[in-house]
Amino acid sequence: MTNGAFLKVDNLGNLINQGFVLCMIAIGAAFVYAHGGMDFSIGAVSGVAQLVCGLLILQGTPLWLCILATVAVCAVGGCCTAGITLIFGVPVFIGSMCVRTSFQGILKTFCQTSEIAIDYQKYSFLNTVGLKAAILVISIAVGYYLFNYTVVGKYNKALGGNPRTAEQAGVSRRKWVFIAFLLMGICVGIASVFAFFRSGKVNSYTGSGYEFNIMMAIALGGFPMAGGEKSKISSAIIGALTVTCLENGLGVWGLDTTLISCVKGALFVVIVAISYDRSAGKLVN
Amino acid sequence: MSKELLLSAKGVNKSFGATRALIDVDVEVSRGEIRGFIGENGSGKSTFSSIVAGAQKEDSGTFMLKGQEYHPKSMVDAQMHGVSMIIQELGTIGGISVASNIFAGRLEEFTQFGLLSWRKINAAADKILADIGAPEIKGSMMIDQLNFEDRKIVEIARAMSTDPDLLIIDETTTALATKGRRLIYNLINEMHEKNKAVLFISHDLDELMDVCNTITVLRDGVIIDTLDRSNMSVELMRTLMVGRELQGSYYRDDFDGSCSDEVVLEARQISLRPSFRNIDLKVHKGEILGLGGLSDCGMHEIGKVLFGIEKPLTGEVELVQKKKKVTGAVMAVQNGMAYVSKDRDKESVILSSSIESNIVLPKLRNMQKGAGFISPKDEKELSETQIEAMSIKCRNRKQLVKELSGGNKQKVVFSKWLGTDSDVLILDCPTRGIDVGVKAEMYKLMMNLKREGKAIIMISEELLELIGMSDRILLFKDGALTKELHRSKDLDEKAVIDYII
Repeated sequence: MTNGAFLKVDNLGNLINQGFVLCMIAIGAAFVYAHGGMDFSIGAVSGVAQLVCGLLILQGTPLWLCILATVAVCAVGGCCTAGITLIFGVPVFIGSMCVRTSFQGILKTFCQTSEIAIDYQKYSFLNTVGLKAAILVISIAVGYYLFNYTVVGKYNKALGGNPRTAEQAGVSRRKWVFIAFLLMGICVGIASVFAFFRSGKVNSYTGSGYEFNIMMAIALGGFPMAGGEKSKISSAIIGALTVTCLENGLGVWGLDTTLISCVKGALFVVIVAISYDRSAGKLVN
Repeated sequence: MSKELLLSAKGVNKSFGATRALIDVDVEVSRGEIRGFIGENGSGKSTFSSIVAGAQKEDSGTFMLKGQEYHPKSMVDAQMHGVSMIIQELGTIGGISVASNIFAGRLEEFTQFGLLSWRKINAAADKILADIGAPEIKGSMMIDQLNFEDRKIVEIARAMSTDPDLLIIDETTTALATKGRRLIYNLINEMHEKNKAVLFISHDLDELMDVCNTITVLRDGVIIDTLDRSNMSVELMRTLMVGRELQGSYYRDDFDGSCSDEVVLEARQISLRPSFRNIDLKVHKGEILGLGGLSDCGMHEIGKVLFGIEKPLTGEVELVQKKKKVTGAVMAVQNGMAYVSKDRDKESVILSSSIESNIVLPKLRNMQKGAGFISPKDEKELSETQIEAMSIKCRNRKQLVKELSGGNKQKVVFSKWLGTDSDVLILDCPTRGIDVGVKAEMYKLMMNLKREGKAIIMISEELLELIGMSDRILLFKDGALTKELHRSKDLDEKAVIDYII
């Protein structure tokens, strides 16, 4: 359909670059979705993290400090969502909406008139396929381990299955929900670092749409939207790869960006309609 | 009395996956008959009744009702044909009024020009509730205001609102204390006098003996025998159900109510509401402390307060040996407490998870090795040991808990807490809705735990169970501690009942 353009070497590089960001976030998001949380703040948080990174680079701050700061911003973002959700006892999506709105505000205030750009060719060593592949493999391994073989994943799945039962079995909802968000924040942070050094610029649209791509990845991968026992980290990763291929494929095929959104939206409805376990209760909790 | 046939079922089969729940079941129920159904958990009695009530479809077989072919499409359809059911677990819809619950699915009867008349609905609901003997519940009340027992009564009202010819009562009485039970027995009498019929499912054999005029015994989906008044006896029923002879009573047979002097858990001056205040309570090492009363007397809340999931207005609970105040469930579990809730499906198990995940959940934190690693092999070993020790009927450890029968679910709940390091167990209605075989196992288990020196607080609405198992019984009435009784041979129901009603 694309006359082979989809499989050209150039495009494969593109695929890995795009896929890296989404997969990285999906690993962290799996922990949040496992307890039934649905986060809308990922994109906005990533945007601000990239902004901070850009500003620090322009100040001449050492690179390692910039990277650390980027990850820290995302971790703080995740903690904010968790904090609002847990302290005020509101649903995750409301907590994350608050964070999303405030972080978007910060990003837009700084990037209102102009975008921030750096000489990204200076940092091309951060932009190699090998490095990204290595980081991704390590992250997947760590995520897989935490999700399947430690209490981090098991408790979050139990909380998704029945929070009351989990708590009566001695699982602290506060603690483990918080840890899930922290993990997600760190993953978003790592993804943001590489996203920034790839594009070399930040504008008011940076990061937008990440959360919806993740949501779609979760649904496409067969990860239950309400969380619980059937949650699998592999589903989240496979979903992320599928969304990447879909977006890239439709783009290479020549479909307009706005139309790609339409196609994704339609597909999302179909997938959720087929796969969502309605007996488990509300979609958003 | 005429022997007019009301319901006949022929060659009914039903399977769930590989499990055959009903095999060629034939049942005939005449008018005026009060038919008891007994059998162990998973024997197929609930399956049969839910098919008759339209909640499930049979795989094969024919049903005749009042001489006509009968295959209900839904529970509402069955109600229109004159068949109503009161189910085992809670079946009310939260967030709406009592009247809306009673007439759920049939509101158009009260609609005029597309508008609902709340006045008419509430009046109709009030009338039904008064008719069945619960005038204190009003149609305009919100369902969430009512306690477990009163909600059950609302369900009874819903079942009776269509004036059914056949009423199915599925293990309802196990959820009810004296008030609700009386109400149900009155209804059953009334149905009998009006020449209608009742299908009555219960685990309480004495109750069945009192109420029914015929009793059908099921085992593993097959009808074993149908007894009538002339050959009915509790021993025979027990033997037929289990397929072997059970010996003696299943309660403990000693009358030694002594235990260590060491206090493990102490509650001081607990108040929950103005009418429920200043409760003091101590439980010792190796003691089975029974809490008894009517279901709304406050004893279930005490259980929750002791475990830290409900905050009292005043007062405190202390783990005496550890000198720690109980502040919440997480802290309680970490300090050796365990809690089995009365509401099994909503609080004690994760229905959508496997048996294995449920069993290992409270033990996970002790199973961690280096780097927090939890070995799948350990999980497998642990869950398989428990499944075998408790003889949980299931395909394998990965089967989902929601597919299990009530008694097997309760076994999963117990398995969760066995082998943990808990010293205080709070059991809220631990044998609700489970059959005699499983009950006997649970009681044996409690005795073993007692011998190991664990403190057990058993909250129960069944007086015989309290008398049969407790070292000490605290009785509550309207939020006040009315009596403390010690284990003795002479203790019987009559001695207890005056303090709770």
